[in-house]
Amino acid sequence: MTTAQPNAEGTAAGQRSAQEAVEPALLAVEQLQTHFPIRKGLLRRQVGTVRAVDGVSFSIPRGQTLGLVGESGCGKTTVGRSLLRLIEPTGGSVRFAGRDVRGQSRAELRRLRRRMQIVFQDPYGSLNPRMKVRSILEEGLVIHGMGDRATRLERMAAALERTGLAAAALDRYPHEFSGGQRQRIAIARAVVLEPEFLVLDEPVSALDVSIQAQVINLLAELRQELGLTYLFISHDLSVVEYLADQVAVMYLGRIVESAPAEQLCRQPLHPYTQALFSAVPSVEPSRRRQRIVLPGDVPSPSRPPSGCRFHPRCPLAEAVCREVDPPQVDLAGHRVHCHVAGRELDRSGGDATAASAAVAAAIIAATAGPAAPSPPRSDA
Amino acid sequence: MTAAPLLAINDLVTAFETPAGRLPAVDGVSLAIGRGRTLGLVGESGCGKSVTAMSILRLVASPGRIESGSIQLTVDGESLELTSLPERRLREIRGGRIGMIFQEPMTSLNPVFTVGDQIAEVVRLHRRAGRTAARARALEMLKLVRVADPEQRLDAYPHQLSGGMRQRVMIAMALACEPDLVIADEPTTALDVTIQAQILELLADLRRRLGTAILLITHDLGVVAETCDDVAVMYAGRIVEQAPAAELFSRPLHPYTIGLLAARPDADRRGSGPLTTIPGMVPPPQEFPSGCRFHPRCGYARQPRCAAEVPPLREIRPGHFVRCHFAEEISP
Repeated sequence: MTTAQPNAEGTAAGQRSAQEAVEPALLAVEQLQTHFPIRKGLLRRQVGTVRAVDGVSFSIPRGQTLGLVGESGCGKTTVGRSLLRLIEPTGGSVRFAGRDVRGQSRAELRRLRRRMQIVFQDPYGSLNPRMKVRSILEEGLVIHGMGDRATRLERMAAALERTGLAAAALDRYPHEFSGGQRQRIAIARAVVLEPEFLVLDEPVSALDVSIQAQVINLLAELRQELGLTYLFISHDLSVVEYLADQVAVMYLGRIVESAPAEQLCRQPLHPYTQALFSAVPSVEPSRRRQRIVLPGDVPSPSRPPSGCRFHPRCPLAEAVCREVDPPQVDLAGHRVHCHVAGRELDRSGGDATAASAAVAAAIIAATAGPAAPSPPRSDA
Repeated sequence: MTAAPLLAINDLVTAFETPAGRLPAVDGVSLAIGRGRTLGLVGESGCGKSVTAMSILRLVASPGRIESGSIQLTVDGESLELTSLPERRLREIRGGRIGMIFQEPMTSLNPVFTVGDQIAEVVRLHRRAGRTAARARALEMLKLVRVADPEQRLDAYPHQLSGGMRQRVMIAMALACEPDLVIADEPTTALDVTIQAQILELLADLRRRLGTAILLITHDLGVVAETCDDVAVMYAGRIVEQAPAAELFSRPLHPYTIGLLAARPDADRRGSGPLTTIPGMVPPPQEFPSGCRFHPRCGYARQPRCAAEVPPLREIRPGHFVRCHFAEEISP
């Protein structure tokens, strides 16, 4: 019942690591900031700022997948769009294949965007219902001057076939397809331009379980066959754990923890990451962790809390957490911003397993009280 | 003789009369929910799980119609046939005996009334309580569902609340008259995982304290595994497998259930090749296949039997029912 060949995995991974050694990251993001003004009144005076993305740094080596996880409003979608300048960042740098994306002129940016494409969550909203699949796919090819009529047709048919659709789909409209097929069309629209990098913004969240698995397999196949690099944005930890090499967890405009996927799910250090993993319901009793129920809601990014942004909901918050923004602790690629986790890492002599267990035990001890903690006010 | 269950659905058929013909969205569903129990009804979009829920309260919109079958609610030793109950009596049941929680609280709450007014309205309708008493009850309910600052929130409008808070208000409304059964249709699907954890915890706690039975409709097998006593899996308008939750997840017997469980991605499956998929897609009602409706997608299907003969729902193990001709051979 599987749809793809599981072999050749090893060889591609080998090529990847060989490339990594000689090449810098395909995408390098430093201190990215995307703020939105809040305007009010007749003169549209700025009365505040939504700090949707507020100092985010990461890099993705060629051929690798970074999973960006977090809850609604954490800024993960804004990060994806800021990379392509679909939303203009307000600070920081984005380097793609050695070029500074923020410094490019309009024409240069257009050329660059052929190489960095995006697939959106909602295949119902992202495909123009009045355009045939042919026009949807051809638009990008024409804009980027890729091939004459005949080669464009060849390319479109090949892209559709690669995503599991017949070339006959070209003469049909999006509404004639199911949700899963529409998402394949959206993926075909991206890969027809032969990009190197894809931002996948919740690409399988709107799909049913059985269809979701088909699209996840397709994305894994394409990554392998075309050597693609992904930024995979999702709120679904299971999907990210399965697909990503590296995972970064966002909370209120910042990355609070990042690590290789396996390490992050085995030894989460940040209390928020621990709560997030513990909250995912599982069908396997062995995978269930003691559930950590966080009080309250995510605060508004227009008024982020002082110190550590997670402190109002954190069961381990101390005086220092309310005042001092926690510095990054980097333990061989496992990065975390948390005073308590940092201290546990120090205490255990850099043993992430021990530190992760200590943080978990402290959370359980702190939340085991008889009465549920009353959530703080968060939404006005 | 055992006492009648709180709710017993028998051979329910709900169909939609459309220009394309008659579409049987629910086609012969039987379910029973005991007092204080939680039954999970799972399946993918279009399997008929929500239409089943709407049928219970006769809220299926035209051109949908309950064609046959019975839905019996047994309260205070009296059995009521909901399919034929006069509309006036049914209105007392809705919100009074059976509460409802929907997926999107923003569209189910009225945007122009405060949440306090909306909860109080339910109480005034069903309890014939006065204004002051109803408002007091609304406040009590907001406290029960652990809304922060309940006194202030009583006068808040739905748009002033977060998604999690709105879902708490929905739960408060559904529980305001201490119903015997709550139908929760994807109550946490629109919420983030940490908020989902809060709501599931709250529902479990309220069930323990109030003894309310819950019919939980969801597509999320993990949610079912962690919250339900019993599970029924629906596919193309029919129940294909039904069992106690622990039994179903440790020993799934229907090829569809097995496929759904195997298609879930997680860290343990990393590097072990592609995910197992169920080929094809869920058929729409106008294209329901003959015989076993899952046979075109089933790796175990054998012809001509699976395409010709509708498999009955059979008890293969104690309390474990499966609609598959070859369940004995599939099971380990």
